[in-house]
Amino acid sequence: MVRHVLGAALVLVLLVPAASAPESPPLAVVVHRARHDELSLADLAQVYLRRKRFWDDGTPIVPLNLPAGTPLRVAFSRAVLQRSETDLADYWNRQYFYGVLPPATLASTAAVLRYVAADPNAVGYVPLPEVDDSVTVVLHLPP
Amino acid sequence: MLATRVSLVALMLLGCVAVAVAADPDTTTYPRREGPELLGADTPIGRLEYVPGRGLTVGRTNLTIGGFTTVAGAWLEGGHGEVQLDNANFFLFWDPLPWVHVFSEIELTRLAEWDTDRAHAHSAPGIDVDRLYVDVGKADILNLRFGRFLTPIGRWNQVLADPLVWTTSEPLIVEDVFDETMRGAMLWGTTFPRGGAFSYGLYGTFLDSIHHEDQAQHSAGARLEWASLAGWTVGASYFASQRTGQRWHHLGGVDALWRPHERVELSMEAVSGEGSQAAGHEWGLYAQGVVEMVRTLYAVGRYEHFDPAEHDQRAHDLVVVGLTWVPRYYLRLKADYRIADHRDDLSAPGLRMSFSILF
Repeated sequence: MVRHVLGAALVLVLLVPAASAPESPPLAVVVHRARHDELSLADLAQVYLRRKRFWDDGTPIVPLNLPAGTPLRVAFSRAVLQRSETDLADYWNRQYFYGVLPPATLASTAAVLRYVAADPNAVGYVPLPEVDDSVTVVLHLPP
Repeated sequence: MLATRVSLVALMLLGCVAVAVAADPDTTTYPRREGPELLGADTPIGRLEYVPGRGLTVGRTNLTIGGFTTVAGAWLEGGHGEVQLDNANFFLFWDPLPWVHVFSEIELTRLAEWDTDRAHAHSAPGIDVDRLYVDVGKADILNLRFGRFLTPIGRWNQVLADPLVWTTSEPLIVEDVFDETMRGAMLWGTTFPRGGAFSYGLYGTFLDSIHHEDQAQHSAGARLEWASLAGWTVGASYFASQRTGQRWHHLGGVDALWRPHERVELSMEAVSGEGSQAAGHEWGLYAQGVVEMVRTLYAVGRYEHFDPAEHDQRAHDLVVVGLTWVPRYYLRLKADYRIADHRDDLSAPGLRMSFSILF
């Protein structure tokens, strides 16, 4: 009996976090329609860490983030940068020591779409269902 | 000192020019800076934004002002104690063009100090230009840095600010072997094979010292580093130096950092050879571990071995154990104890505490 109870408790402990974690929608990484560069997942990580700073044509890459703590931002950091935002704060402290600041943020995914559609150097991420023909999708990030 | 003043004035003038040429932003989609804005104001030159630990951005000038400061205290074995507001360091950095980055770090030194050897607090303020350089480059693979910059040996010497490191004191191999800064030029760049970042730096000294420091007259070196996205980094450094009238010295080093888990950081550095601070072979290493025990509170442990060049000095074996509290990403409170196998000016065992703010 005790063994059954313990077994059930163990199953619950393993299942509950998975069941309670909200699933983020699939994300699309978007750039300006005129841009034809390819971006791998690793490239994208280097862009958002501000290590990769230039497109292939020598123009500066302008990465855009959503505000810290928002579910899409958290999901993006986990999927692409493989780090939590707390962990990244330490990384940005060290970059600040060299005058390098984290990517700028925009308040909403609609603002990201508008900005990317207007700036040939920008790259951003938005939920896949929100993508329209004003931008080009260069990468899909599954949920 | 004259060169410093001229450089500062030039930076200010260039900032004014940048205001004039900066484009108006689209206010409907204008990106904001990352982090909690503590102060903000709209002005004719754009929005002034202050984010703690990320500095004050001056409108559309692309100029940012920030820095850090530390209050530190030490109670050493043997009875000596001191408390000091050691320094305040100011960063000024400016990106007038996408491919030009100007960076300076100006240090106000010896602001206030009290120690047990004197009856009262004393102060002897001074100004040092710790770093002043310009980076130019239109591709990640090739950039030129020109000016005064931190010597790229190992990991610690490249993040020398108190709010960025885990202990109150530097490892002896960082403090006592090579010159902290260079005055010259460096070719540097990064490429991204197999998902990681492979960086290089090739540098040499050819500018005169602006502080008349006790540094090598000539020096040159190279650094290679591989950083994976999975959380580990390895690096190798070579440094050659020559003091006036002396032969060339050669020093090599390796370093590594591994983050097997978000709450664990392991790092090490080792150097061997002849550095720029003394003649004769010396070698040393440190290995450090950091574990986040509970949220924002970290336990830190470091072992050091240092065999100095001077034959009349014994090798040092040190252990540093301590706690670091990081209540916000820009605040760091540290307390650690250095245990030494013997006591002298270099090992200086005892309790140290510090409180640092990145602003």
